[in-house]
Amino acid sequence: MKKSAILRPTRRDVVRTIGAAGLGAATSGPLMQRAFAQTKKPVEISFWTFDNPQQRPWVHKRVKLFMQENPHVKVDFQWFAFADLGKKVSVGFATGTAPDGFVSQDWFMPTWLDKGLLAPLDTQRLGYPSYAAFTGDFAKAFVDGATMDGKVYGYPLWFYGYCNYLNSKQFKEVGLDAEKDWPQSWDQLGEVAKRLTVKDGDKFVRQGFKFAMHSSQWTMIQFNPILIQSGGKWFDDAGKCTVNSDAGVRAMTIRASIAQKYGAEDPADSIATNPVPGMDFLKERASMFFCHPIPFDLVKVNNPAMLEGGYFRPVQYPGVQTGKGNSTTYGFNLVINAKAAAEKQEALHDLYKFIMSDLIDCWKDTAPFTLGRKTGWADNAEVQKFPHVNEIIRAKDEGVFLPRSLVFNELADSMHRAVQKVMLSKAGIKATLDEAAAEVDRATAAYKKA
Amino acid sequence: MADLTSINPYASGNLSGPPPAVSRFWQMHHRQRIRLWGIAFVLPTLLFFAVFKYGPMMWAIELSFNSYDMVSAPRFIGLDNYRELAADPIFRETLLNTFVYIAGSTILTTIVGLSLALAINTGIPGARYCMTAMFLTNLMPIIAVCLVWRFLLHPYGLVNQILQPLGVGRIDWLTNSWTALPAIIMVTVWRFAPYFMVVFLAALLALPEDYYEAAELDGAGAFRRFIHITLPLLMPTIFFVVVVSALLCARIFLMPYLITGGGPGNATRVLSMLIYETGFSYLKMGQAAAISVVLFAIMLVFTAFQIRLFARSEQVYM
Repeated sequence: MKKSAILRPTRRDVVRTIGAAGLGAATSGPLMQRAFAQTKKPVEISFWTFDNPQQRPWVHKRVKLFMQENPHVKVDFQWFAFADLGKKVSVGFATGTAPDGFVSQDWFMPTWLDKGLLAPLDTQRLGYPSYAAFTGDFAKAFVDGATMDGKVYGYPLWFYGYCNYLNSKQFKEVGLDAEKDWPQSWDQLGEVAKRLTVKDGDKFVRQGFKFAMHSSQWTMIQFNPILIQSGGKWFDDAGKCTVNSDAGVRAMTIRASIAQKYGAEDPADSIATNPVPGMDFLKERASMFFCHPIPFDLVKVNNPAMLEGGYFRPVQYPGVQTGKGNSTTYGFNLVINAKAAAEKQEALHDLYKFIMSDLIDCWKDTAPFTLGRKTGWADNAEVQKFPHVNEIIRAKDEGVFLPRSLVFNELADSMHRAVQKVMLSKAGIKATLDEAAAEVDRATAAYKKA
Repeated sequence: MADLTSINPYASGNLSGPPPAVSRFWQMHHRQRIRLWGIAFVLPTLLFFAVFKYGPMMWAIELSFNSYDMVSAPRFIGLDNYRELAADPIFRETLLNTFVYIAGSTILTTIVGLSLALAINTGIPGARYCMTAMFLTNLMPIIAVCLVWRFLLHPYGLVNQILQPLGVGRIDWLTNSWTALPAIIMVTVWRFAPYFMVVFLAALLALPEDYYEAAELDGAGAFRRFIHITLPLLMPTIFFVVVVSALLCARIFLMPYLITGGGPGNATRVLSMLIYETGFSYLKMGQAAAISVVLFAIMLVFTAFQIRLFARSEQVYM
């Protein structure tokens, strides 16, 4: 019997064909992706940042999303306590275990740059057509710390200024209106704080104002604008520390006045801790407190009633001259280790570009920590609806910077000791500042010699 | 005569040529073999100490004569680090704080530890339970201890609240430069005295009863028995506790770091904190190494006393 040359497909054949086509369609996507990824060489990079309940999880989220979209890149993400990150990185550099990329606090940039530890960034790879376009997207003061010799070494992430946070409920209790009666000068701050103070004999039931005294970095952030407003400088042109000048003495006198002249603060009485320096304010033991932007989550955890009632608000730092107050602005840069391999540096550029590509998402997760970049977030409705956001942005834009000194840590520790001596041991201001300046000058001389 | 050929093929003289090492081993005198086995057993530990203890120690001493910022290569600068330290008022103040801390903590820990041991040794009901409860302070994590004491010593903390009805006014324990270091000493004694109480108790229990019986027969009271019998017999233990306590206190870091951060001013900054800050905050590893050499020298003095003490104790008991 002759077989037909043409094979007629059976129903079973048709079903098999459809099934095979479906299976092929289902697997082709991942397989093609894998095939495509396999054409890119796998890269493993290490990235370190500081811990913060809002900021660190957001960065981690962006890193994870980046890895999903770039499966050939694996990021070893680690974080450390805020005060320890700089030390960890420096030990890492010493032992050859420094991360490929990390978040650098602004005041450490001079140290890394002086020792040639950072790689210059390719602004085009970050999405900017030129160096000028990059620097134009940030306030000059922000990029001054991240640029050197026409090259960019840091991508500013968060930059924010300190505000004076008020407890408006306590203002009302003493017949003041936080919207109108917020102190615009140091004398006004003292007077208002005195009015807000509540005492039971010698014991403070409520302090009118509180300076945080738990760490040297906070001491610097708080003292810095007072010194600048008083007409002082940290260093003269020859590099000599001038904190003990007449302006420095005026600044320290202002610093001490809230406790010593107005009796509105007890420097020894504080429940602040390193993780929550604003605890006295959040627990309503103090009516006013200088602080970085305070996230709502922090308020909710420590004082839900304060968040529900909405009776806390930021205002500008007071000034030596009324209405001309400004605080300290400081921030954080995304940087790359100069010793990272070329392909790792490329991957980090892509990572940083990705991290910075959705600043509204950043704001949603980390508000009210303001971003360093000018574009892409501040005018957004999501940002504008945050209570008092314009005060917070103004503090950032008008703030003065911490001295970007190669001996910043020695300077900060010396000033911290000086403030403690003046406030806690009631030491003479001039003599104490002379000691502090001498310590800093010794540190500068030792650095130059080394 | 025993047949040694099964274990030493060269014993019969049948094999010629230079004997391999193993065979040389078996040809050695018995005492020499024992000595070599001893060296073999001790060698791993010696290597461990050489690599992880003495090697880094020697490197730190060498580093103290260099300028090293952990990034560039070390640069030899001779005695400059030591000269800078001698001229640094902060170093001098920190050194003084360290001596005060060691002296205060050691003396008080010894006295309190001995007193507690004597009290436990009276055998009153519940003494053993008290001893267990007191020893728990030694088992608590040091960080938790420091954080709790920070709040206990707050101007309105529990300590001041207990003292207030006694007519004692508010004491700013941790923010007054006169009371901050004594407060740290107090916390140190609280933590370590129970540990040495156990050491003293063991020594007390080992004292022979004959002397006490003889003294009682002669009419000596409790105080005289303590002064003329207990104390002299406990001297080796007291010296041991003093030296070990001093060595522990010389290295203290976490307590002042967590409780006061070295403040107020420089009042509670001790040498170990200065080493940490100089090395890791200021990136001056050479100078940090120089400070650690100074601390090592202080501890060496105590260790020399300890070695002499044990040598004397062995002579007494032999």
